[in-house]
Formats: sequence, C-alpha cells, structure tokens
Amino acid sequence: MPRLFIFAIGGTGSRVLRSLTMLLAAGVKPVGGREYEIVPVIIDPHKGNEDLKRTERLLWNYRSITKEAGTGNGFFSTRIATLDDIVPSGNQARGSFTFGLQQVSNTRFKEYIDLHQLSAPSRALADILFSGKSVNKHGQEVDLLDVEMDIGFVGNPNIGSVVLNQFKDSDEFRVIASNFKQDDRIFIISSIFGGTGAAGFPVILKNIRGAMANTGIDGRGFLQDAPIGALSVMPYFNIETDEKSPIQRADFVAKTKAALHYYKDNVTGNGSVNAMYYIADDHIGRPYKNDPGNGGQRNDAHFVELASALAVIDFLSIPATELRCDNGRAQDPVYKEFGIRNDAGAVTFAELEDGTEHMVALRLSQLALFRKFVDEALEAAKDKQPWSMDAPALDGRFFSDTFHRTHVKEFLTAFGEWLNEMAGNQRSFAPFNLSGAIPALVKGRQPDSGWFKKNVDHVLLNEQLNKTAKGAVHDSAHSKLIGLFFKATEHVLTSRFGLNAPQA
Amino acid sequence: MTDLFAALYEWFGLLPYSRDMGDHLRGWDILCESYTGTPWYVYMGWLMFAVTGLLYAIQYHIWDRSSFNKKHHWWLVALAVAGVNFLIAFTIPFNAIQSGDHCPDLYLTVPDCLGFGFSNALWGFILFVVITTLPFPRRLSTNCRQTTFWKP
Repeated sequence: MPRLFIFAIGGTGSRVLRSLTMLLAAGVKPVGGREYEIVPVIIDPHKGNEDLKRTERLLWNYRSITKEAGTGNGFFSTRIATLDDIVPSGNQARGSFTFGLQQVSNTRFKEYIDLHQLSAPSRALADILFSGKSVNKHGQEVDLLDVEMDIGFVGNPNIGSVVLNQFKDSDEFRVIASNFKQDDRIFIISSIFGGTGAAGFPVILKNIRGAMANTGIDGRGFLQDAPIGALSVMPYFNIETDEKSPIQRADFVAKTKAALHYYKDNVTGNGSVNAMYYIADDHIGRPYKNDPGNGGQRNDAHFVELASALAVIDFLSIPATELRCDNGRAQDPVYKEFGIRNDAGAVTFAELEDGTEHMVALRLSQLALFRKFVDEALEAAKDKQPWSMDAPALDGRFFSDTFHRTHVKEFLTAFGEWLNEMAGNQRSFAPFNLSGAIPALVKGRQPDSGWFKKNVDHVLLNEQLNKTAKGAVHDSAHSKLIGLFFKATEHVLTSRFGLNAPQA
Repeated sequence: MTDLFAALYEWFGLLPYSRDMGDHLRGWDILCESYTGTPWYVYMGWLMFAVTGLLYAIQYHIWDRSSFNKKHHWWLVALAVAGVNFLIAFTIPFNAIQSGDHCPDLYLTVPDCLGFGFSNALWGFILFVVITTLPFPRRLSTNCRQTTFWKP
C-alpha cells in the first residue's frame, strides 16, 4: 500500500493533524478509492504544547484501534503508522509520531549555534541576523539570541530555520528516505504567520527536493521526484492584545506577506511543490489567549483546521499522472484555495459547497451518532441486544477491556470535544446538536416521519444494529464493534435524514 | 390424534380433572352412545398450538422490537400464552355445562373446567418454552433472536 508522509509543523500543524485524524476516523476517503497508509511526523520543539500532546494521544488511540480492529470497517479505515511501524525491524511499541529535535530543551539559541565559538565576523553577522527581542518561558523579555527554544520559536522563523535544518541529518529523515517508494507521497502542513511552521516548511521542502545531494540517505531518487503537496495556513484567528507578548495580531499579515514573498521564489516559484493549498480566514472572532508558548498553548479547534485537513484528502484524490516531477521540479503544479457557500459566522453543512458536504457530512454525522449511542445507550444495550450477544460477543468484559474503555471511548470523547470546540469558536462550525435528541442531531436535517415510520431514536438504532449483525461474520469483536456501528449509522442517516454517501 | 392429545392433557393418566370430563373432551356424544361427538381434545390441541404459535410470532417476528426483547418480556408473553390457553380451555367445557350440551350421564363440574384450563395453559407454556429455546425459528427474528426464558 502506498504511503503518505505528513509533516505537521508547529502548533497549527498539530491542530490540522488533529482534524485530519477525526476525518479519517469518520471514514472520510479520497475520491478514487485509492488506499494510503498515513505516516504523520509532528515537528515542534515545544514538547509541552497542549495541542501537540492531545494530537499525539489521539493518533495513538487511532493507531491502537486499527491495530486491533483492522481497517476494513468503515470508521478508522485508513491505517496510521509511526516511522517505526514502517521499518521492518522497527520497535513498534517504542514508536513516536513526533520528530526528535535535538538540543532544543533548556538550550538558548546562542548556545545552539555556539555563538561564542564563532569567529568575530560570523558572530557579528549572527548578531545582525538575530537581533531583536522575544520572551523566555517565564514570560520575561530577552534578546533573541537568549531565547530558550523549548517553547518553540515564539514567532521567530529566522531562528527556526536554523534549528530545523537538523532535519536533513536526522534518523527520521533517513528512515523516510530509505522506505520511500515510487507511489508514495508527501504533504507538509505549516502556518505562515508564526515561527515554527513558517521556518520549517521551506527547510523540509528544500531537503526533500535536494535529496540527491544528501549522501547520508538511501532512496534519494524517489524522494527528489516525490509528489509533494503543501498547505500554508495564513492568519485565521484573532489573539488578545498583550503589549509584552512577542505575538501580535498586527504582525500576522506582515509576516505572511514576507513569507509569501519568499515562497514566490523559493517554493512555488521554483516548482518545488506539486499541489499548493492556501487557506485563511479574515473573520474577526473572539480572540484566543495570547500565549507565546509558556502557558501550554491549547487553542480550541477551528473550522479552518478542518478545511485544512480536507486539503490532505484532496491531495490524495489527485491522480498520480497529474503530480509528475522531473529533476525535483513539479511539471504541472496546481494551486488551490478553499471556500464556503455563505460567509456565515456559524457554519453548518448547508454552508459547505456540494463537494465538501458530500465528502464529510454523512461520515461526520455517523461518528457523531456512534459517539451519542456509546454515551447514552450502550450501557443499556450491552448483553441485552442481539448485536451485542451474537458471536463474537460484545459483552461486559469486552466493553471493560482497554480497547473500548481506553482507545474507543477516549477517541469518541476527544471527537466530542473537537466538535464542541469548533462550535464554540468564531467563526464556528456547528453542524450538530450534540446534547439534543437524535432527530435534532444534524442541524438543518429532520428525519422523515409518517404513520408507518418508526421514531428515530436509540431503539431504532438498536434495531438497525440487530439487523446489520444478523448473519454477519466478523474477524473479531473489535472489528465487529467498529463495522456494525458504521453500517448501522450509515443506514439510519441515509434512509431517514437524507444524507448522501460520498462519491467513491 | 385424539388419543395423543388426550394423553397429553390427562398427563398420561394423572388426570387433573374427572374421568367424565375426559370422556366429554374425547367426544362422547350427547346421546351417550359413542365417541362421535365433538372431539374437543383435538380441537383444543390444535388451538393451543395455534394460539402459542401466534403469540410467539407476534413477539419474535411481527412486532419484533428491540425494546421488547428482554427476558421479562419473554415472561410477559409466556404469561399471555398460558392465560389465553387457560381461558379457552376453561370456557369451552364451562359453556357446555351451562347449556347442558353434553351427555347427561357425565357429571361435569367447574373444578373440572379449571383443571382442563390449567392443563391447556401448562402445555401452551411448555410449547412456548420449546419453540423459543430451539435456535430455529427463533434465529430468524431480528431483535428477539437471543430472547429465551433465561436471557437476556
């Protein structure tokens, strides 16, 4: 199976990856039906970043679910692997989704570049290039050269581009290079208005396209001509004004313009990327807390991150013939943006264009219905309904086991949090009424009713589960749980709510 | 057939009602000459099968709801099976007593009717247990295929 290596850089990278994981869990697939194994690599020096930590936890739960249940069950139908998973002799228990940046913990930037070891002219140049102020992890103002990098690059791509250049000599890059096959693809997710993403994207891209010059790695040819997609997230949220903070909303646009100018010559202008996706939102919503990183940086999920995750799905839908490269140069590069039908402050499925709606509405609704059932009706149904009792049994023991209690339950809880965060954000994405009854679950969609129509409730869902389970054969109880709920929720939502199945 | 049902209803000789009631149900005619009257045992036997089968079909295949498939629902239907069969079996000889529509030599009493009703109810219940314990046709039900007298 071909692979998609995703480099998710910085806090935005983690947040977009979080949305992508939710979409994949819901069963969203690229058009064309080609299967890919996803290998995410999160690049962020800020290991204490809450967005990174919860994305990594989410990925682990996803991976654990597919390891037990397989990927042929509708939900969780795309394999997600760590780099260690793809190495035949890799220690799969030890794997990680994060890139191990060296020498950033408790290290000031001037120590990282050995400023005191440099010659006088080089030191003078460094003083010029890295002049200015920033904050340390205690929130105190410091010179840029004195920044401790374990809270990230604090909106300073100039120091980020130096530190992230270690990527080309890393074990991770060597593993990717030696396992990269002809049909594999690469996608890079970064923001353009901060520090880590803006710095990391061109560095990683340059090292992949320039792989032929790197004698320390295998598989250089495939890597040099790899189909590469990239997402550049431009400003999409507002932050609180804090004069002491190095992060200022006013700088976002200036930084974006500067970076785009750089990309014009060094990224898009030289044909390094086959498919470039741009996304931004100028909707002025409720500002985020101004946290340069020392507060843990936990931002609520945002609709733009979901739309950004769709760029990955779109990239996988592009036929290989349209992603050709020659000597590290894309032959027919494409540039894409994302739009919605109405400039609404509260986005529901009705505001999405038809293609997007067909891709996500049914699948997300299915996962939302699965979560609702697990929260509200599972306890009463287990060991009572035939779908639970038929072999392999989904009995009390199964539901108290780690697979369900930890991985599935925790994932579904995180899915609910993700939806609630997007619903509470501005611009909001609130297509569901999560606390209401099932008929009110999908906003703008009422289930059909009539004299001979049964009410849409947990009873009906149990009956659909019983019908689906009748005579069905399952490899394991784990795959049965995931597969049954996918099929039953799909049937209820298509037959009663009129949601359409996505194009195959 | 009469002998088969008679053996069942009379519990192979234990007889929960009088011998006279047994003769009446066998079809002892109103002229008290031969067993050419209505063969009640056969009628009641088939009716018991039909009633039990109908109530089984209603729960397992017609109504067939996930909200009506627990063991207490099974017991509720079993009670209905027993109740309906009791009523039928009690009413028919009771009406015969009331109207005098039987051989006048036979001494039929209300306790006989109760005994026959009880016997019919018990066989209906046993039949219901058997039908719902065997995997077929229970397995054809969507929502009650796991429902028996002891689970879920």
